[in-house]
Amino acid sequence: MKKYIITTFCALLLNISAAQAAVDAAKAQQFVENVTRDGIENIINANVSQKEKDERFAKLFNSALDMNFIGQFVLGRYWRTATPAQREAFIKAYREMNVKTWSKRFDEFKGRDFKFLGTTPSNSANQVFVNSEVPMPEGQPAKVVWRVKQDGNNFKIVDIIIENVSLAITARNEYSAYIKKAPNGVDDLIKDLQQKAGK
Amino acid sequence: MFRRWLGGLALAISVSIAPVWANENHDVYSDDSESALETYNRAMFDFNTGFNHYVLMPVAEFYRDVTSPFVRRRLRNLFDNLQEPVSAGNYLLQAEPKQSGVSLSRFVINSTLGLLGMFDVADAWGLKQEQTNFDDTFAKWCIPDGPFIVLPFIGPSTPRAATSMALGFVMDPVYWSTTNDANVHDKVTYGLAAVYAVVIMEENMDLLNDLEKNSVDFYATMKAAYMQNRKNKGCFNDGAQSSAASYDFDFGIDETTDY
Repeated sequence: MKKYIITTFCALLLNISAAQAAVDAAKAQQFVENVTRDGIENIINANVSQKEKDERFAKLFNSALDMNFIGQFVLGRYWRTATPAQREAFIKAYREMNVKTWSKRFDEFKGRDFKFLGTTPSNSANQVFVNSEVPMPEGQPAKVVWRVKQDGNNFKIVDIIIENVSLAITARNEYSAYIKKAPNGVDDLIKDLQQKAGK
Repeated sequence: MFRRWLGGLALAISVSIAPVWANENHDVYSDDSESALETYNRAMFDFNTGFNHYVLMPVAEFYRDVTSPFVRRRLRNLFDNLQEPVSAGNYLLQAEPKQSGVSLSRFVINSTLGLLGMFDVADAWGLKQEQTNFDDTFAKWCIPDGPFIVLPFIGPSTPRAATSMALGFVMDPVYWSTTNDANVHDKVTYGLAAVYAVVIMEENMDLLNDLEKNSVDFYATMKAAYMQNRKNKGCFNDGAQSSAASYDFDFGIDETTDY
């Protein structure tokens, strides 16, 4: 009996390591650390104009996040029924809206340093969670988990989970609810996002 | 009175939605929005949003104008300190006697040396603030959360959260120390609840306004965020499960066009 348990355990362990082999967890964490350091040193702490900061942020955001992948997840089942033109317009509007929103909020991270706490394997292929926390002005630090996807030697962030709240899942819920009620479905959503990005 | 009313309300809602609860698929990832509960929730959510914008936020704005961060911190600490006995009791219910002792010591030290809790003296002595509540306890006991429900004035909740909140109010030291004079009791509990609402709103209104501005369906955003935030509290039956999100992020896309 005991032997059986040990064998199963070893088999399980092998299985897990086989599944993880596709992702280099240490490199994934290094990637996220670099992104956050880049953001803090070259954007938040940089002595440049706000316009320059916004441009740098947009560049960092677009290189670090896989917005194609995220956008497809966020649109969910509506992605399948959307036309190529709608897909393109959605990804563009979604990207711009996010850059706009986060660029404004980014300064809140001033003076805070992410503490990285290792990785957790993911059930999804080629993905891994990088765990971190951010000190808050008062009380306990906030838990921030980064979902990272590896593609060859290339790493991209595909979700950020703050205190258990996944930005991708939240957006997916929000957009599905919106599309269901909107008379022109996805087109209305695209128009609304464009408007928010323009403001 | 206000708190008793709250308790009654939570109970009434838990009872009245119990049949809905049994039928509703309350998976946060599903976007099934066709239900009676959803219709009620959206209406109540709109009402609360209006109330916040026209009443609570202006008051919180005023509170922010007339106080300094230092003063606001003292007031917040005062409220946090009143929660320590609730934490101490709940840690016991969660079989964490050591943490319970920490909360109790913090309450005794901060209530006296920390001037009614305004200053966190205990923190410097290595007794860190780690709050818990009935909701954490019920989660530990593996009691299901139930569906998302918007309460009047209070906002996003669930049957488990509402029940926990009502129990928390009753266990608050101010509540049980003033019960022998009904008049004082009412005034104190009403007043404290109102002040607390303003304090919490002052801390959260910037984020709330930002969220509202950036979202195309504020209700759906709040619901998704609130329900996810309540997940992974950890139940005794879970064993050593990873607390990381485990949603499926492979969604069978055949085309990976770049846009």
